[in-house]
Amino acid sequence: MLKIENLHVSIGGNQILKGIDLEVKAGETHAIMGPNGSGKSTLAQVLAGHEEYEITDGKVEYLSKDLLEMEIEERACEGIFLAFQYPVELPGVNNTYFLKSALNAQRKYRGEKEIDAMEFIDLIGDKIKLLNLKDSLLKRPVNEGFSGGEKKRNEIFQMAVLEPKLALLDETDSGLDIDALRVVANGVNSMRNEERATILVTHYQRLLNYIVPDFVHVLVDGKIINSGDKNLALELEEKGYDRIVEEAKA
Amino acid sequence: MKAVETFTTDFENTLNLPDDNLKLLRQESFEEFKKHGLPTRKEEYWKYSDPSIISNIELEFVFSGQYEDRNYDVILVNGKIVKKFNDCQMGDIAEGLRSGDLDEDLLKKKDKPFLNLNNAFAINGCYLILESASKQTIRILNLITNEGKNQAVHPKCVILAKRNSDSIIFEEFKIMGNGTSFVNSVTDIIVEDGANLEHIIIDDFAKDTYHVANVCVKQYKDSNFVSHNFSMGKKFARRDFNVELNQSGANCNLFGLYFVDKKNHIDHHTTIEHKEAHCSSNEHYKGILSGKSTGVFNGRIHVHPDAQKTDAIQNNQNLLLSDDAIIHTKPELEIYADDVKCTHGATVGQLDEKGLFYLRSRGLNRKEAQQILIRAYVNEIIENVSDEKIRSKLMELILDRLPKGG
Repeated sequence: MLKIENLHVSIGGNQILKGIDLEVKAGETHAIMGPNGSGKSTLAQVLAGHEEYEITDGKVEYLSKDLLEMEIEERACEGIFLAFQYPVELPGVNNTYFLKSALNAQRKYRGEKEIDAMEFIDLIGDKIKLLNLKDSLLKRPVNEGFSGGEKKRNEIFQMAVLEPKLALLDETDSGLDIDALRVVANGVNSMRNEERATILVTHYQRLLNYIVPDFVHVLVDGKIINSGDKNLALELEEKGYDRIVEEAKA
Repeated sequence: MKAVETFTTDFENTLNLPDDNLKLLRQESFEEFKKHGLPTRKEEYWKYSDPSIISNIELEFVFSGQYEDRNYDVILVNGKIVKKFNDCQMGDIAEGLRSGDLDEDLLKKKDKPFLNLNNAFAINGCYLILESASKQTIRILNLITNEGKNQAVHPKCVILAKRNSDSIIFEEFKIMGNGTSFVNSVTDIIVEDGANLEHIIIDDFAKDTYHVANVCVKQYKDSNFVSHNFSMGKKFARRDFNVELNQSGANCNLFGLYFVDKKNHIDHHTTIEHKEAHCSSNEHYKGILSGKSTGVFNGRIHVHPDAQKTDAIQNNQNLLLSDDAIIHTKPELEIYADDVKCTHGATVGQLDEKGLFYLRSRGLNRKEAQQILIRAYVNEIIENVSDEKIRSKLMELILDRLPKGG
């Protein structure tokens, strides 16, 4: 589904990613772990199409297309979804209206019929329950005045409605208490299937107790230095990043 | 100064009109206007807007016409009443003076040249009296028709909200036809003790239009005035909004939204005179500028020595959608009382890039994302209109006219 080769990315002259190779197949869940500043979030943002980053080398193929040539919205319509580390507040933009517009933009892109307000309400009913969202949050402006946990649940709720092929979860666990973490993980797990791939970007192993990955990659200083299965995450938790880095060098 | 010469000839011609009981007052006003002439940029309040750009156009005075539209309760065509509202007392200015409903002061010498010019040509005009204590909504159309001429129109509308009355006035300016129009409009509003008045004013875009508008509001004890001022840029557009809080307990809310594109120009000068104690004012104006347009916001709050416990808030926000658009924004606070609360703020910015990225990452294209953010921006002003029908009508009108990005 996704094939990243030798990806180099810089921002404002600073090289952040220094040659990433990663292949993700449909149905797989990959975790990308790494210390602060290693480039994890940059990778997620670049895949979603953030325009501030400069691709200095490498290529990314998504569903046999050149991902880096696609506009932000084209990527979304082709099934890429980024759950933001810091979801953006949109004062004055109603949450339901926003999500319905987004869904219809994607349906239109795919040549499907746009859905009306009533159909939309039917569609989101179960998903609101799944994410344990208060109805009032849907009537409020997008993310405005939401608590940290509400923002993250709102991200996963959007994901549940938009049903992406490739979900990128950028530190979705940060700032969540255990209960909220369970709700979010439950939401993500319920969407796992053979066609959908997920990339989890996280600092801590904690999330991976709830969303168990097929592969774990350790990203340090813009490069993947180690890859393995879920046990790598446990090892990382036990030894800390420094030792893993040293061992990788040795 | 072709314009002033034409004004003079046209004015002299109006002196031959029969049954003109306003003649003397009009003559005084015209003399006063001529003393000063058209203002120029050298004057502080006209620094960014130069009305003398009309001085070389021969503008023929037009003061009648015909039109009918069932959506409006009152229709003025080129300043003359062509449709009356039966549920309240109304008539032209001369009738108002004759019956004693209007005070002569209204037409006496003013300190603004365009007010004097408007008074000089006040041969028609319109006044209406609001008395109903149960909420009444009146839609007024102020229509300018132009059959391809260079013309000057001086519409005048006087609204008297009587004691404890409760009304909504929705005043629309529209321009039909083509040609160059100079519109010098005046709306006088008096809000008596305990009266509630919500006034909505919106103007239509027309290509070759020079619009100078003055809205003068006088408020009395415990009255409430809410204004929604929507305006689109023109070749030249200047709107002065003056509110006098003359007695304690008077409260006004002024909301404004202006949008201007191409090489057009819009200038808002608002003044709030806090004359007595325990009055409050809350002003929130927002602008959207694109293309090579220019905007001006000058918000003056004048707190007189007796106006203790004044509570005044002013806020002006501007959204620039292009690199070439310019906004001049200036708060002007003059405070002579010591126990008051006055705050002001002005911002100039662009559409939030983070917000655009977020919207686009959900599948909306750049244009759709921009429209969603702009819609949210204007809604913050429109949502203050209390009547739902008028609100959705305004949203429709405004979304249709908004600059389409870039």
